[in-house]
Amino acid sequence: MKAGANGSRVAAGKGVAFSKSPVLAVRLPDWRSRVVLFVLFAAFAALAGRALWVQAMDNQFLQKKGASRYMRTEELPATRGKIFDRNGMVLASSLPVKSVSAFTEDIKGTPPEKLRELARLLDMPEADLLKKLASNRSYVYLKRQVEMDVVARIEKLDIDGIDTRKEYKRFYPQGEVMAHIVGFTNVEDVGQEAIELAQQKALAGQPGSRRVIKDRLGRIVEDVGMQREPHDGKDLTLSVDSKLQYIAFNSVKEAVDKFHAKAGAAVVLDVHTGEVLALANWPTYDPNNRAHLTGEQLRNRVITDTFEPGSTLKPFTVALAMDKGLVKPSTLFDTGGGRYSTGGHIIRDTHAHGVIDVSTIIQKSSNIGTTKISEMLSAQEMWEMFTKVGFGQAPRYGFPGAVAGRVRPYKSWRTVAKANMSFGQGISMSLLQLAHAWLIFARDGDIIPLSFQKVTEKPVGQQVISAKTAAQMRTMVESVVGPGGTASQAQVAGYRAGGKTGTAQKVIDGRYSQTHYVGSFAGMVPMSNPRFLIAVMIDDPTGPIHTGGGVAAPTFAALAANALRAANVPPDSTVTDIIIPEHPFEESN
Amino acid sequence: MTGKLNVMLTTLLVGCALSVVNARYQRNHLVNDLEKLASQQRQLDIDWAQLQLDQSTLGKNERIEQIARTELNMAPLSPARTQYLTEGEK
Repeated sequence: MKAGANGSRVAAGKGVAFSKSPVLAVRLPDWRSRVVLFVLFAAFAALAGRALWVQAMDNQFLQKKGASRYMRTEELPATRGKIFDRNGMVLASSLPVKSVSAFTEDIKGTPPEKLRELARLLDMPEADLLKKLASNRSYVYLKRQVEMDVVARIEKLDIDGIDTRKEYKRFYPQGEVMAHIVGFTNVEDVGQEAIELAQQKALAGQPGSRRVIKDRLGRIVEDVGMQREPHDGKDLTLSVDSKLQYIAFNSVKEAVDKFHAKAGAAVVLDVHTGEVLALANWPTYDPNNRAHLTGEQLRNRVITDTFEPGSTLKPFTVALAMDKGLVKPSTLFDTGGGRYSTGGHIIRDTHAHGVIDVSTIIQKSSNIGTTKISEMLSAQEMWEMFTKVGFGQAPRYGFPGAVAGRVRPYKSWRTVAKANMSFGQGISMSLLQLAHAWLIFARDGDIIPLSFQKVTEKPVGQQVISAKTAAQMRTMVESVVGPGGTASQAQVAGYRAGGKTGTAQKVIDGRYSQTHYVGSFAGMVPMSNPRFLIAVMIDDPTGPIHTGGGVAAPTFAALAANALRAANVPPDSTVTDIIIPEHPFEESN
Repeated sequence: MTGKLNVMLTTLLVGCALSVVNARYQRNHLVNDLEKLASQQRQLDIDWAQLQLDQSTLGKNERIEQIARTELNMAPLSPARTQYLTEGEK
């Protein structure tokens, strides 16, 4: 190749510039640009469509994702309702506490001295704590219901893997005195006994939750709305009076101790309203500390135990006969020499009373006299009377475990069964049923419903016997407490009292025991205008005294005297020094 | 004329926008205050429950009787040692 004469290089040597070379001028077909245009347009359209879809049509998903970045669900706690006595004293109340638990994996590297301190704060042996932590579960409860100040100190230890969760603990400031009325809840705050169980629905709170927006500092800046409305449990005001309850509790406790009895119980009713003012049992338990609870302690003898009341039932038979106009308080009966044969069986009195009137039959508690009165009544009439006052009827006190007692259908009564029932044998009931039935004598012959909650309205009664009969019966039962009656130890200084004793043989293995008794007393004070109806039961007194007049009557007197004083009831008697006969008259059964 | 109206409307729009921002800011603060008060209320409720419990525990009849008998040397009164007065009687 040789260089050109002018020394310049020209492509192809024909004088045509490279950029203008016709060879390079490619002609593109028109459709290609249109395709590109269309593709681009379609892509933008797809984007717009997608945007529209996401923004307007199906926006839930992304909104949810967004919300989860700033919205929180907050638990709204609800507390269990408090229980008050009639004067506004707290009997049960829940306070927030925390459960302490551990993630076993995370806690492994903790130095032993910290664990020792933790065990001390949790009030448990270190070995137990280590055993719990060695569990092969990943999450273990160390202790439930730890109080807040302890939790604060545990949190200060700063142990990895310790977790605390909020819960509630129920406190019972009145302890064992109120145990059988209030009951208790379990660790999950669910009622287990007595009112706590009966009113579980009303007392229980319903925790709620709501959605909130929090800012970066964790402060709530917007309340988006409720998910679930929280409902606090309702507060309950019971009919019980803590002062009277304490008095009743102490009287029962002292009596059980004094008479070496197995158990004792007492109940105090308000005559005007039917409210249960006190309900005491011994043995009892402390609801705050239920580590070693036995069935004996848990038993509410006033409500769940039935017994054969014995002579405390005689006034019902006599009142029925008086109400029917068959006898008057002055009607005479021959009770003979203390033995009377009926239906092939012998009915006994402890003493020979000879010819006595109806008032004296009650005063001396004559079985024979009562039997003779019952002979004037039909079985059906007696059964109707018992049923009207609630014996053998499922009670509606709103209290768990309340028993109905037992009254056999009148068609199956034989002569001797009817005679026995007239003085309270072969028929069983709870102490509360007995007290409830006695209201007909304390009131003007009508029976009103019992209530464990404070009553604000005047209760409506159902007439069982006439007001006149009730008044006559009050006079008779007052004579029982006077000198010459079976319950002279039931006298109350400064007040007129009235009532009836009962001593029943316990039924053991289907037979009447000759050595085990239940002494009972049902009575009212003050007689001028009865205010309290008190029933006392002493179960199996093993000391030298075992009769109702000996064990239950003095318990009644102690209880009534203190209760009247505590309630500021003006005295209605000028007798201030009680003289109890040296050999008080003993009842027949 | 239209120019003037536009300027006015724009100013109004910006003003409204700023007041919305301000209102939200205020609201956040108020909500936060409300939450603080609500949690304070819860705490006070708990304190109240605690105090009621304390009252009941300290006012237990058993404790009062114990103190009255042992520390104050008191004894229950009996009707024999009581002078009853009746209102309106001479």
